[in-house]
Amino acid sequence: MAQRELTPSDSVQRELGTTLSVVTVRATPPERFLAGQKIQRVDSTTVLQFRFGSLTDLLQFNTPLAFKNYGPGQLATVSFRGTSANHTAVLWNDIDINQPNLGQTDFSTLPVAGFDRLAVQYGSSASVVGSGAVGGSVLLGSAGEWRSGIGVSLGQQVSSFRNNQTQLGVRYGSSLGKNWQLSGKAFAYRSQYTNDYPYKERRNYFVEQSQTAQRGLVQDVFLRDKRGRQVSVNAWLTDNDLVLTPQDTVSRERIRTQSARLLASYEANALTLRLGWIRDRFDYAKGNFDQPDRTRTDRFLARAEREFPLWRGNTYVQTVLRVGGEWSHYRTVTDGYGGQLITENRQNLYALLRIQTPRWLVSANIRQAYVTRFNPPLTPSLGIEHKLIQQEKLILTAKASIGRSYRVPTLNERYWLVLGNPNLRPENGLNMEAGLTTTVKLTNSLALTADATVYRNRVDDWSYWNPDLGYRVENLQLVVAQGGELNTTLTYARDGWQTGIRAGYALTRSAQQRAYNVYAQDVVGKQLPYVPIHNGTLNAWIARNKNRLTVQMQTSSRRYITFDESQYFNGTVLANVLLETTLRVGSVPIRVQGQVNNVFDTLLFSVKRNALPGRNFSINLLTNFPFIKP
Amino acid sequence: MTTQLIKTAAAALLFLTLWNCNTTDPEPVPYESGVYVINSGNFLDNNGSISFLPRNSSTVITDIFNAANARTFTGGVQDYTEIDGKGVVLVDNSTAGQDKVEIVLTGTFKSLKTLAAPDVENPRFVVRAGNNKAYVTCWGATGSGANFFANPGYVLVLDLAAQTITKRIPMPKAANRMVVIGNEVYVGSDAGDPTLVVINTDTDELKQPAITVGANTNPIAADANNQLWAYSGATNEMVRINPANKVIAARLKVGGSPKSPGPFAISADRRTFYFVNSFYDPADNFRQKGETYRFNIDATSIPAATPFINRLFIGLDVDPQTGTIYAGITPSFKQAGFVLRYKPDTGILTDSVRGEIAPSRFFFR
Repeated sequence: MAQRELTPSDSVQRELGTTLSVVTVRATPPERFLAGQKIQRVDSTTVLQFRFGSLTDLLQFNTPLAFKNYGPGQLATVSFRGTSANHTAVLWNDIDINQPNLGQTDFSTLPVAGFDRLAVQYGSSASVVGSGAVGGSVLLGSAGEWRSGIGVSLGQQVSSFRNNQTQLGVRYGSSLGKNWQLSGKAFAYRSQYTNDYPYKERRNYFVEQSQTAQRGLVQDVFLRDKRGRQVSVNAWLTDNDLVLTPQDTVSRERIRTQSARLLASYEANALTLRLGWIRDRFDYAKGNFDQPDRTRTDRFLARAEREFPLWRGNTYVQTVLRVGGEWSHYRTVTDGYGGQLITENRQNLYALLRIQTPRWLVSANIRQAYVTRFNPPLTPSLGIEHKLIQQEKLILTAKASIGRSYRVPTLNERYWLVLGNPNLRPENGLNMEAGLTTTVKLTNSLALTADATVYRNRVDDWSYWNPDLGYRVENLQLVVAQGGELNTTLTYARDGWQTGIRAGYALTRSAQQRAYNVYAQDVVGKQLPYVPIHNGTLNAWIARNKNRLTVQMQTSSRRYITFDESQYFNGTVLANVLLETTLRVGSVPIRVQGQVNNVFDTLLFSVKRNALPGRNFSINLLTNFPFIKP
Repeated sequence: MTTQLIKTAAAALLFLTLWNCNTTDPEPVPYESGVYVINSGNFLDNNGSISFLPRNSSTVITDIFNAANARTFTGGVQDYTEIDGKGVVLVDNSTAGQDKVEIVLTGTFKSLKTLAAPDVENPRFVVRAGNNKAYVTCWGATGSGANFFANPGYVLVLDLAAQTITKRIPMPKAANRMVVIGNEVYVGSDAGDPTLVVINTDTDELKQPAITVGANTNPIAADANNQLWAYSGATNEMVRINPANKVIAARLKVGGSPKSPGPFAISADRRTFYFVNSFYDPADNFRQKGETYRFNIDATSIPAATPFINRLFIGLDVDPQTGTIYAGITPSFKQAGFVLRYKPDTGILTDSVRGEIAPSRFFFR
């Protein structure tokens, strides 16, 4: 699925020129220095198709990431390659935006509309990304578009259950004097999920009543000069307001998640400086919404990286060394910690080495983190890629990597009154993987890309909120996750027709291995809860001119809900159908998407055993007013 | 030739027999005589269940409601009782407005009727209050913190013949346990009200006045002398009440700081109480610890010095037919618990049976 799906996306880009970024994306460190590891870049057509969805929806249909979903618009946490929700790093423009109290991201609060680029990096990458990149990383980014002028886009979604969304974007660009160029984007969105279901239950399972209001604002400004220097400012404000059982004024619950993320970057050819500030606010209230339990956490971040080309004279071997340091300062005021201000500093020093020849790519990285009152391990990694076959019509690459990972305990794990444990040790992991990728041009119109990966990830000192101790947290478990992924994409393009199929399969075996007490015997070797052993995704499309029909399918085997495999949810098949076309009103193209979700009306369950909604519909309109040139 | 014919015939017969075995519809599993284990499940998972454990077997049949109805309860199972051929299951979902009372056919567990919100909200206990009549205590919707018991409690009167709710009797906040003696039901509560409320089951009306015992008093059982025993949480006392004149005959200290008593169970002959005395040990990471004790209904004090069974249980009941003590163990709410059976006189462990999540109560038939 990492493959570039050139033809369809190009056609969409032509249609929607102003919406999509078509700039050369700067190769950012997570991707450049992770030789031997699998990276899946989600193409712009897919991002566009999920333009009104949450990140959960997009990832669920396009990656093997397993989500623990509490209901529509409710908490959704990820399990990547059999790890826990704390083990996936979520980066926005290269900085970690996991909520630091929980050490995880609620993917339901991140709408796809908030970013331009999306890639998924599989396996540990702690040496490059840092704490928490154990199962993998989700990489979100903004991108500038260097066209002079101004373009406005307007999006509207109307869906079943009285749900609706509105998006308004402005992109602008201009030259500033002889040497400088400006590009910017302002984008605002709002969603109202009323979830007014016409039924109270499906097949005797309740559908939980909830409402979610979402608002967000994205502001990106890029400034670059002819010498390649770039200054950028990125801001992303999100506000997610969820109310459960709104009809019951005594028992209703409100979960408000607000984040402000601000980042300033300076990039010259060899130097990158970043300054960031992230504020996460989290309020929980039951009954009386005026007196919520509050969590307020600020992070200030400064990072400097410099890249040194080595052995410049050697044109056969290109060697780059990137060294960097990061300082971040955390300040949290959390009712659950007693309400006082708690601060800590985290520093990182790292060196990333990349060696490339026409056939070989090697990266060797090392990172040491320094955290107030903690001693994270030295984290090295090594990755190798070799092009076994490199012909015009066939490229076959072999990959392998090994890396150590770590996770600094979350603020909750350390500071939560009574239950937290200030003496926790950082978790400590070792990830190994190997794979093959191939690109085959079968005929002039038929192309195949495929990859296969196997991995083994062992995480010790896995921290666990131990029910035996009234849910106090301990470094108790040893988890070994192993499995493999297969992906293949076949595309056919001829005479204005484009069709393709993209299929993915993942096998995930993830189990706790340590018998730390008499009853833990019953859970040793058992699959971790909510992690399906088999997961499959399928995307098939056929397009001609401005019209496109897409079928998205996701299937997974049973998901155990207990640690001893004694209870489970059955395997499921979920399918969506999308029909798209572009209408033209005068000179204004309007992209129209009609979407049927859960076509088979499958009974799916939330983690709380509530029925998720059945078949539902939405109509999306995306208007791009013509770019006004100066 | 003959041999071959016989062989062929035998093979065909064998095939037919096996095929028959495979295709015959299984008879509905009768849960006629045995023990129903009530598993409360894990709170947010809404995965409570009832398992069936035959008295002479050491294997439970799991989730018998799901087996009979192809759906799960979708909540914690709070209580179960049987009344004139119908089983009444109280199901507490973690979301307000999603609690249920399931009425099932006894023996098969086929669902007959589901009663739901707004009548049913946080159902707690169910008792038989006459022919085809059930009383169900409910808390109503709960809030948080000091406002947890935001609503007054109530008792639902169920007509099991019509499978309808016929009346809603107002109760103090947190209406909880009930014990039936004759045509009276004694209702306890947990939110500070000092009384035991008495309902006349003939009229479904409150008997005035209620019995003032002390805050957070819940009835436990009637003993062999038909005296009512209740546990008063505020004072840590077992209270013996004469149901004839509603006079408190005895107050005996039980448990006591730091340990608190419960659950309680009465022996088959109704002369001995068993109870778990437990606490969270601050010296050992607040691990819950405790032991099980017993006392005679004629005792003048309840010592908790020498445990009858040196073990902590979250569920405790006595089989009135055999006297066997059934106890529930919950290693964690995310893995199957165990049902332990003990001899009533000696407290010797008979066997241990793997069950489902949080086996917390037992129903014997």
